[in-house]
Order: sequence, then structure tokens, then C-alpha cells
Amino acid sequence: MTTKKKRTPHSQNERWVVVAADSAVETPKKDDSDPTFIRLRNPSTDAASLYLLGSGDVQLYEVKAFNEDFHSWFIGQRVQRDGRLLYVTPMDPLYLLLPYLIKAGEEGKFQPVDQVVMDEDFPACTRLLSCTRSQASLHHVAEEKEVGSQKFQRYSQERTMEWLKKKAERTVKTLRKSNISVGEGVKSTTYVRVKQESETQEEDYLRYAHGLISEYISEDLSKALLKHLQLPELSSPKEVEPPSKKRKLTDKPLEAGEDYTKFNSSDFSRKPPKKMSAAQKTLAKVDKTGMKSMSAFFSPKGKAEKK
Amino acid sequence: MDLGEFEADNSVSCRLASAIPDVCKTEDCCLGIDEAGRGPVLGPMVYGICFCPVAKKEALKDLKVADSKTLTEAQREDLFRKLDEAKSFVGWALQILSPNTISTSMLQRSKYNLNALSHDAAIGLVQFALDSGVQLKEVFVDTVGPAEKYQEKLSQRFPGVEVTVRPKADSLFPIVSAASICAKVARDHSVKDWSFPEDLGEVDADYGSGYPNDPKTKAWLLKELDPVFGYPQFVRFSWSTTQTLLDSKAVTVHWDDDEEDGEKAAARQNNTSMLSYFKTGSKTSAQQGNTHQTHRFFTERRLQSLATL
Repeated sequence: MTTKKKRTPHSQNERWVVVAADSAVETPKKDDSDPTFIRLRNPSTDAASLYLLGSGDVQLYEVKAFNEDFHSWFIGQRVQRDGRLLYVTPMDPLYLLLPYLIKAGEEGKFQPVDQVVMDEDFPACTRLLSCTRSQASLHHVAEEKEVGSQKFQRYSQERTMEWLKKKAERTVKTLRKSNISVGEGVKSTTYVRVKQESETQEEDYLRYAHGLISEYISEDLSKALLKHLQLPELSSPKEVEPPSKKRKLTDKPLEAGEDYTKFNSSDFSRKPPKKMSAAQKTLAKVDKTGMKSMSAFFSPKGKAEKK
Repeated sequence: MDLGEFEADNSVSCRLASAIPDVCKTEDCCLGIDEAGRGPVLGPMVYGICFCPVAKKEALKDLKVADSKTLTEAQREDLFRKLDEAKSFVGWALQILSPNTISTSMLQRSKYNLNALSHDAAIGLVQFALDSGVQLKEVFVDTVGPAEKYQEKLSQRFPGVEVTVRPKADSLFPIVSAASICAKVARDHSVKDWSFPEDLGEVDADYGSGYPNDPKTKAWLLKELDPVFGYPQFVRFSWSTTQTLLDSKAVTVHWDDDEEDGEKAAARQNNTSMLSYFKTGSKTSAQQGNTHQTHRFFTERRLQSLATL
């Protein structure tokens, strides 16, 4: 990996700090195009996201930004206001092709893939097909037929599920290897534990991997994958409403939950006032004409207006 | 006075001391503490101690040491030379707190205010005298803050030593006057030929007294302001003079321990108003617009997808 500072030629202020694979910034061979940033449809959010195509459109990279409050860069003799750090990391183009295949698959026909991968909003998406991995890996998510020299594809849910399952399993392996905390609760990476934790369940890893992969597929596929991985859906505790404050009607005689009557009794009000401190005395002398009592603000509005 | 040791690195605190007179290690001694350069926005604050045997107090009076503020610079230089010549019975030590030390102490996350900084410098110097074998019996201090509290603090810290804290001690006790002369001379020297460690090219050396109300100092501060870095380390950043100038003239810098107004901070952090939790129905429908929750792998690492560069 290399760290590169890039600048666009027209404006000196536009700079980004990028960590990218060497392959992503390789100078193009003859006739090839330069590495370029492109906007494509994010399969998870359906909105535009930034990607990078390596030189000659051979490899796809996703672009993620580390972005935290209160960070800035000193670059050479300059200051850069935003402390973002961009990561350009290799990505499987199949994730981006999948939504187009699924949409075309609704018709149930075998179609050549270059007729399927088209998008008015993101015309650059056709360039995904020239990535080396694209054509060769379509069979993971689609059935293929060859007529003459032309290939036809039809989206297959079963194949896709198997493919995603393998992805999840590989992710689990990587998660274990890189020692990433996947369990409930929060762990600090700087905190050294005396006891090795063995409680982390296989299911926790798989669920975490599923969550990671769900960042790259549609919500429907994510749900289907959850089923395919035989992970039970977690019930969300958010939907539980707090118990109603209103008292239910019962036949039993009502009893007050809290007793405030003693404050209303006559002898409470007649109690001689306690000795006041100097500060309280001066406060008591203040001219209070035109002031509302504190309790006035808490009485129901209707009443207050009638007065 | 040789300030070489401080000038070698004027970003940190530095201690300078005379040799300890032998007589101070055997006879009961008195010690005076005073400071110079508490108020200025420029340059270091210097703490000075001076000590001599109690029996030699009169000899000190013969040197005609007096409150440093009533003396001209030349007179102070002269008196310091005399004090240094009396090294058979007078010793001194200085703690130079660089402006950078003052700035970083007062502006760090857990604030360390100027009074605490001053008290600790004084305590450090008294401890230094004790550690060097000076037979301390009496300590006289010009006060910083309320005299009684300070006296109590010092008495507790040094049991067996009689501590006297007085306002205007520098005109009451010759030994405090002597300490104030040492401190003032060191402060003058360090400010006069301050060597800027920053690569600033030609710096205007005409910065006046360094006190915030000096027009020369004000003009210098206005002229030397850098929009990104503010000032060289010569300037005390923790002074309100400096901060006002930085607020109005320099680029705004946000730190994560900045105190923001409640609402502003909440808006920036995208917090939900407390009131929204009491509403039912309307809230859920508004939030259903974006159901996509980024996985915690990315949120924990502060990683985001980008729509544009």
C-alpha cells in the first residue's frame, strides 16, 4: 500500500489524502484509460457512491473515508481543513452488477449481460463489465447458456445464496484472524484481557459477517441471506412501548399510589415559617408585583386562561 | 547573569542557581520568595529565591536592596552584581517558567491555573534550597492570592519552617527584595534578547514591556499574528488578550474539549432533542425514511461511503 497525495490540476485547494493499493494507481499501459473515480449505484442504499476503476477498467475499488470530528491535516506547507483519510480498497464488481441482474431476472428470460447492465442515472456502470472478474464470475449468481459465441444469463436466487454464504464463511475466517470483536457489548482494543475470551460464539461471527456483507447487497437479499444462513431474526427491543401511565379500570377500590394529602392539610399551611437565611430574607423583600408564582406554570392551560 | 541554560531551550521550564554558600549549610537561614513577569502577555514568568544566614540580615540591608519596582533597570543590574559578589553568604535560585509552559499548563485538558503554577514553582524552589542543605528557619513570601491560605499551604508543606506570607513583602523584608531583584533581572534579560525558536525570518524586536495594556505590545501582537499558528511560543496563549485576538483575526480552530452551547453542540452531533422522546407516532414515521443503518464495523471505525470527492 502507498500513501499518495493527489491534487486536481484546476484547484490547489482540493486535496485528498488517500491510502490505495499500488495496483489502483498504476500508470496505464498504452491505450488504456487512467484510473478514474466514478459514481455508481450503491447496491445497499440505492444511492450514489464513489468507486474507483483501476487503469484499463481491470479492477474495481470502493472508496471509504475515515471521518471524525476535530481532525485536520498538515500537508507539506499547507493546512487542510478536513481530516479525512480515504481508503481505496479492491472490491468484487459482482456486488454492483447483482442489482441489474436481479431486476432483469424478474422477466425470467436469458439475456446477454451487456443488455442488462444499463442505468440512465449511472451510465458508467457498463464499464464494470470490462473488469477481469466480472464475466468470469457471473455464473456464481446466474445460470448461463451459450448459443454460438454469445453467452446468455438468467439470475438465480439459489446460486446467489450459495455464493453469499461462501462470502460470509470467508468473512468469518478473516474476522477470526484479525481478532475483531464481534460479540455483544463494547470492547476496547487497548485494554488487555487477562483471561482469553472463549465465549464468542460461531453465531456471533456469522451474524457479524452477515451484517458486513449486507453493506453490499439490497435489504431483500440481506433478509434472504439471514434465512439461508439459518440465523434467527433478532427481535428489536425498540418497538416495545413504555407502559401507559393511565390507570386501568378495575372493580377493586382505588388506592392512591402516592400520598400528597399531607401537604394540603390545614396544619401544614399553618406551620410557623422556618428561620430564613440572610439571602432568603433579602429575596423575600423583592418587589413581586406582576410576577407569577412558580406553580402557575404547571397548572393546566385551560384553567390559567379562564383566570 | 548567564541565561544560557534557559536560552538553549526556551520552550520549557528551567532552574538556575548560584553556588550554595557554606555558611548557609551550618547556620540558621532566612529565605525570600518573589516573582517577576506575572502579568505580561509576552515572555516567561520568573520565580526567584534568595537566602542568607539570619545573622547576616543587616549586611543585606547595607547592600541597599529595595523593592525592584522602585529601581531603574541599571540599578537592578548593579544590585544583582552586588548580590552575586556577596556569594560568601548570599545564595539565590531561579525558576524560569517559559511562556510556552504557562500556555500549555493553563490550556490543557485539566486546567492548571496560574496561581497553582506559581505556588508550585515557589514550593519547588524552597524544596530545592532544603535539598541543597540550606538550614532554613524562616521563609518570607510576597503573596499570590489570599495571603492566609497561601501561608497555611506553605506551612503545611514545610513543617519546622516559619512561613510569613505578606502582600508587599518585597518592600518589607530585604531578603524578599533581593529575591525580587534576581527574578526581575532574569526576566529582563530573557525578554530583551528572546531567541525565537520558530523560523520567522525577521521578527520585529520592538514589543515594548510585554504587558497587555502597552500600546507597543498591542501593535506587535496585531502585526505578528499568523492566521493558522497564531503566535510564536514567546506569547502566552492563555492570556485573554491573545485569545481575543485569535478569535477575531485567526482561523477558527475547534478542539474536542471546546465548550459549546448545549443546543449548538447537540445540533452538530446530530443529537435528538429530549422532547422528541415524549412524542408518539409522528417520530417513528419521520425516522422510517432512512432505514439503512451502517454496520457497526464501519461506524466504530468512523468509515463512511462517499457520494462525491
